Amino acid sequence: SSTGFSLQAMDSSHVALVALLLRSEGFEHYRCDRNISMGMNLNNMAKMLKCAGNDDIITIKADDGSDTVTFMFESPTQDKISDFEMKLMDIDSEHLGIPEAEYHAIVKMPSSEFARICKDLSSIGDTVVISVTKEGVKFSTKGDIGTANIVCRQNTSVDKPEEATVIEMNEPVSLTFALRYMNSFTKATPLSNTVTISLSNELPVVVEYKIAEMGYVRFYLAPKIEEDEEDTKPQV
Amino acid sequence: MGIKGLTKLLADNAPKSMKENKFESYFGRKIAIDASMSIYQFLIVVGRSGTEMLTNEAGEVTSHLQGMFSRTIRLLEAGIKPVYVFDGKPPDLKKQELAKRYSKRAEATEDLSEALETANKEDIEKFSKRTVKVTKQHNDDCKRLLRLMGVPVVEAPSEAEAQCAALCKAGKVYGVASEDMDSLTFGAPKFLRHLMDPSSKKIPVMEFEVAKILEELNMTMDQFIDLCILSGCDYCDSIRGIGGLTALKLIRQHGSIENILENLNKERYQIPDNWPYQEARRLFKEPLVITDEKELDIKWSSPDEEGLITFLVNENGFNRDRVTKAIEKIKVAKNKSSQGRLESFFKPTANPSVPIKRKEIKSMLRSFKRAIEHKMFSVQPSNWSRPMVFGKLSLPIYNLGSKLHTFCLEVSALVPEAEYPWKHQ
Repeated sequence: SSTGFSLQAMDSSHVALVALLLRSEGFEHYRCDRNISMGMNLNNMAKMLKCAGNDDIITIKADDGSDTVTFMFESPTQDKISDFEMKLMDIDSEHLGIPEAEYHAIVKMPSSEFARICKDLSSIGDTVVISVTKEGVKFSTKGDIGTANIVCRQNTSVDKPEEATVIEMNEPVSLTFALRYMNSFTKATPLSNTVTISLSNELPVVVEYKIAEMGYVRFYLAPKIEEDEEDTKPQV
Repeated sequence: MGIKGLTKLLADNAPKSMKENKFESYFGRKIAIDASMSIYQFLIVVGRSGTEMLTNEAGEVTSHLQGMFSRTIRLLEAGIKPVYVFDGKPPDLKKQELAKRYSKRAEATEDLSEALETANKEDIEKFSKRTVKVTKQHNDDCKRLLRLMGVPVVEAPSEAEAQCAALCKAGKVYGVASEDMDSLTFGAPKFLRHLMDPSSKKIPVMEFEVAKILEELNMTMDQFIDLCILSGCDYCDSIRGIGGLTALKLIRQHGSIENILENLNKERYQIPDNWPYQEARRLFKEPLVITDEKELDIKWSSPDEEGLITFLVNENGFNRDRVTKAIEKIKVAKNKSSQGRLESFFKPTANPSVPIKRKEIKSMLRSFKRAIEHKMFSVQPSNWSRPMVFGKLSLPIYNLGSKLHTFCLEVSALVPEAEYPWKHQ
């Protein structure tokens, strides 16, 4: 839109979702004359984006009546320009409406620290229990070889603000998540020095990485459900 | 048998009511499965070579057990929570249909003995499949197996299809899996075909939504039931010369079977004597089903390891190692199935992408090609043909894993924010 563009994708089992927003102000040049919604195959898009150099300038172009989108890569010295045209598709799956929510607990911590925790815990078990209390945020797992607990306490007295751990808690929260998804999310660690984890007992977790000053990538992950609670829940 | 020609009728006249989904997309879903239909498929396919079938040392057929065991594990591993529904006493109206099936089996038995005499392999294969009948013993074996696996079993008082539909209407399950289309006539909100197909077939699951069928056909549920009766169902003969398409035209024109009969050319179309269409209609609208919570004990529990080994290995000659490994798979899957789905928390909104054209749906259905090959995006024709440049982006590129397959990129200048509720800003 005139304000920027957003993207939403879900994994095939509808457990995790990614939402990306890039605001128009963050671009060197931005023009959008009318609304457009495009369906893309992520694997195909990844193939094309991998053809860009790390320092390349990327231009995304789409014609209103076209069934393709063009990715143009310019090298910094402008001695090489690549054009990749990708076929668009109509996506059958429904979008999910994600309402604004007041989360019971919000944890802001160094993204590298969060990535390390997820990596370490996944060598012990398959799931992580994230609990936020006034003591801090606890990440725990158990597996065949044993158990692991990592507690991060609020820590704001640091030289660099990005190294701080800030915990806002309205009420205690404890939820269980699949570590394999969490580890996929942490691949976005290089985007930002900090990560924000928003938790509520009745909602999926939101793992958010800010993208400079221009937007964010948010990952939503549905929690594990207690068996008895799950068996009585109507199917939607 | 189901409803004659209903799949094609819907593909041609209500294409938006059906969509292809990946098997994996039913992760975390509770699905009611017509057990008899599945057992019948297993008896026809599993371990069969001519007249030879899988048997235990006592010579009793075990194809149904092998099929039920492996296919159920496949469902559990995919995070699907199956509920198997078994047929009870068939309604009196179905006796005529069952008698027809009996005589067809008798004919097939004669044809099979001829084929065996002439050693015609193709005919042996063909006719031996036609002689298959699901017996009470097959059903009892499968019930015992499923209970030992920790999978819930529902014994329908009458038709399994009707009971499946009732479970779905009550929100106990997400959808009904069968190959018989009459689940839709019983009013199952969501109906799935090919869910029980082997993975080797690589056929996507076809999902039908009854609300969308009614919307697209512009009909009430009562009219849809009448359409199915006219097309041909298990409970009464159809009017000779009237197939699905004619039935659709007649229902659209006259609204009900009563009105059709009043206006029908009796010389051209022969109405069966004492045609029990009203009783058939009543069976579809008010079938005999269990609705009492206490009688419906739908719980998934841990497998009974000892019981499974006794039943499968000791009594039916299954390989102990394979059964032990399979039990481990069930235990792992049990943990997996407690994973929630995002739809439990966030509600779907209308997809902003352009809908599929009807023709494309038909070709999708017939060839089962991947949906992506058929559905190229197109938007309103533009009176301004220069490309729109969204922007230049100078950022390092990261591969965020291959779990997420497709996405929709949204660029919205002119539509108010409220119309894009999936945006979380």
